Amino acid sequence: MKIMKNRTDKGHPGMALEGARYVVIDTELTGLDKKKDSIVSIGAVRMEGGRIEMGDSFYGLINPASCLTAESVVIHEIMPSEVLTKPDIAKVLEEFLGFCGKDIIVGYCVDIDMDFLNRESKRLFQMTIDNPVVDIRSAGEWLRGRGIIPGECGSALPHRYQLYDIAKCLDIPVNVAHNAIVDAFITAQIFQRFIPVLVRAGIRSTEDLVSMSKKFRGGDRYIPLCSISNF
Amino acid sequence: MELITEDVIEFLKNVPPFQFLEEKTLQAIAGGLSMEFYPKGSTILHQDGPPSEYLRIIKKGGVKVFIKPDKGEEVLIDYRSEGDSFGLLSLVGGDKSRANVVAVDDTICYLLNKTAILKLVDSVPAFTEFFLKSFLNKFIDKTYEEMHNKSLLFGGGEKLLFTTPVGEIAVRNVMTAPQTISIRKAAEIMSERRYSSLVIVDEEGVPAGIVTDRDLRDKVVSKGRTGNEKVSDIMSVSLIKSEARDYCFEALLKMIRYNIHHLLVVDQGKLKGIVTNHDLMMLQGTSPISLVREIESQQTIDGLVPAARKTNEIVGLLLKDGARASNITRIITEINDRLVKKIIEIAEKEFGEPPLSYCWMVFGSEGRKEQTFRTDQDNAIIYEDPLTEKEDAEARTYFSVFSAFIRDSLIKCGFPRCPANYMASNPEWCQPVKTWKKYFSSWVYTPTPDAVMKSLIFFDFRPLYGDFRLADSLRDFLSSFLDGQMIFLGYMANMVIKNTPPVGFFKSLIVEKSGEHKDELNLKVKGIAPIVDIVRLFSLEKGIKETSTLERLSELRERHTIVREYADELEHAFEFIMLLRIQNQFEQIEAERMPDNFINPKKLSNLEKRTIKESFTLISKLQDIIIERYKPLIW
Repeated sequence: MKIMKNRTDKGHPGMALEGARYVVIDTELTGLDKKKDSIVSIGAVRMEGGRIEMGDSFYGLINPASCLTAESVVIHEIMPSEVLTKPDIAKVLEEFLGFCGKDIIVGYCVDIDMDFLNRESKRLFQMTIDNPVVDIRSAGEWLRGRGIIPGECGSALPHRYQLYDIAKCLDIPVNVAHNAIVDAFITAQIFQRFIPVLVRAGIRSTEDLVSMSKKFRGGDRYIPLCSISNF
Repeated sequence: MELITEDVIEFLKNVPPFQFLEEKTLQAIAGGLSMEFYPKGSTILHQDGPPSEYLRIIKKGGVKVFIKPDKGEEVLIDYRSEGDSFGLLSLVGGDKSRANVVAVDDTICYLLNKTAILKLVDSVPAFTEFFLKSFLNKFIDKTYEEMHNKSLLFGGGEKLLFTTPVGEIAVRNVMTAPQTISIRKAAEIMSERRYSSLVIVDEEGVPAGIVTDRDLRDKVVSKGRTGNEKVSDIMSVSLIKSEARDYCFEALLKMIRYNIHHLLVVDQGKLKGIVTNHDLMMLQGTSPISLVREIESQQTIDGLVPAARKTNEIVGLLLKDGARASNITRIITEINDRLVKKIIEIAEKEFGEPPLSYCWMVFGSEGRKEQTFRTDQDNAIIYEDPLTEKEDAEARTYFSVFSAFIRDSLIKCGFPRCPANYMASNPEWCQPVKTWKKYFSSWVYTPTPDAVMKSLIFFDFRPLYGDFRLADSLRDFLSSFLDGQMIFLGYMANMVIKNTPPVGFFKSLIVEKSGEHKDELNLKVKGIAPIVDIVRLFSLEKGIKETSTLERLSELRERHTIVREYADELEHAFEFIMLLRIQNQFEQIEAERMPDNFINPKKLSNLEKRTIKESFTLISKLQDIIIERYKPLIW
């Protein structure tokens, strides 16, 4: 299959966290309704272990199948006319999957992104994305549960915190308006800070990391708390 | 992807040597950028480990670079902080890493890969030069340029005074007249042609003198001359000339020094034109010369006070013009000297002729002609040896009231008293020649800490007013006397090496440990004083009579093997730190604060920080050389 060409074996679970390849992603959506809403843009940046490859990034704007809602326009500052001229989802998704290869996919509240990406992938290519997936919010919660979230104010996070709250905690600059590539980069920087802490907390391999992230979903609070970050 | 590299490019625009690259080059390298995070304490590069594959530029945090020998303690090489980089040498060399690099704080680095770096090394010479030796020599102009551009204070960027040769603004058609004409005839020519000056030439047309409006006023009208006398009787014969290629600044300095308003401009001996105070004022807006004139015209101390205050404005003008520190200190020295001379003249009028000839001496920064804004008084009187006890008593009585008057007048004019009481009004420092010689020889023979401290201050003396021969004989005495006095020079060397530069401080700059200025750097104590001390020591070794650091350096260049090698760097470092200090003080004054010597390192650009750091490294190197040179005498 064409989209498999860039795949390597480096992303296999079971490697040391510092030796693995990751793709840190973020999507912007028209809304959270899995039936009606669609993907507006996809941003991703590669990490080789703890090193963020800023030159190796991906950003695709998509001509959405359904219309942008008024609220999401305000948030993303992406006007419908702007995305209408963009390529269709099929082209962007193919490129995106090529960019991901077999690398471990990392994101903040990544399940929502994966739901939409898989829906499109199934529809267009009759396949689901089988890369290992790591959720940063879950990893953060896991660390918080152990009282070892890094940064100045780990314990002072607001109850319903979001991506930018964690970024601020870690002194990661947040100064550009929301968009998929910038948010992916912020997520990558959070993951970068987490890696040494996770290793010290006993997450020895990417397998440990993926299964920890899978098990630790923060229960019922997960979806409502995550929902805001994607649109 | 430009969205996430945009910030990096903005960051690199303030980081040398990247700030010297063109925008499109920066854009191009941004594609090869990556970013790493190192928790505090983690090792980034291992000594003898694999070579670095990246040039790492510190975005945030700081690292320690050190070598650990097989035996013995680790050797600190450097601390690097935001804007600094590391790993270039092992990257380009391709062999093992030479040192350990450890994060001393949570640290973020941007990484530039080998391909991108090698391309820069090949195509942009300035990039490589930056990482190699002699930073001070190569980059000082860029530092000045940046200093000049970054502050609103220095907007405009016109540097006419320092870039225009005086020949360019000189009036070409100089009015000349033979020296045989009468005063009246000369005045007629001048008023007909509306010239304020007339150059008087001899039969061969060579300038013999000059007559100005002022001469007609001061030497004719007020002296009751008739006008029938020959013009040569009233012309000024000591023609002060300026070479056409000299910068206007030099011409200005001459006018101030000789208190003249017309300067002949010559090119290879031939009269090329004339330049006036007015011409220079047009160039500059306000002129230091008018300030000098104001000082000159005062008859009372109270009249001098407002004029003295204006010195600060002159400094502002010079800063705006892009003057180097040495330009500024030279002007301040000329103006202050004139002020002091005027005060002494008024004192002589007040108390009558002194019973013995004397010389007013200044030392410390005033002696070195390195005064900036607020300068404590550092002065002394040396007078002719009295022949009788009566003469001695008379001299003491006279000079004690005389010097007290001068001290108080200087205070009124804004020169605070010396906290250590090194002033002529202190009887200890108002002495005949023989006592001064005794002082100097006892300090040299018995170099107690106090004696060495006094030597550091007093050996920078220079005569300012009165009979210069008295001070000159003291200088000759000192020079011949010090020759070969290795023990004393050794004591001085110990003093010099004690003030070590703050190279080991994290973020490259040490700051005062406690007190009001705890996060700040004392530019005078840590930057200027060590250079002054090093250069003084070498000058005393060689019996050099100059007192200013830069003049000493230019003398030493020919005569001192160590200095020859480092003279350029020393000069740049000294000029730079001085300028930083003057600029800082001027900003403090503008903000209506008391000027001091402290600067907050956070206010400095990366290039300025680097320049300071290089200056500290240079000071350290020279101190090491001094330690080696005086080895048996260092304790």
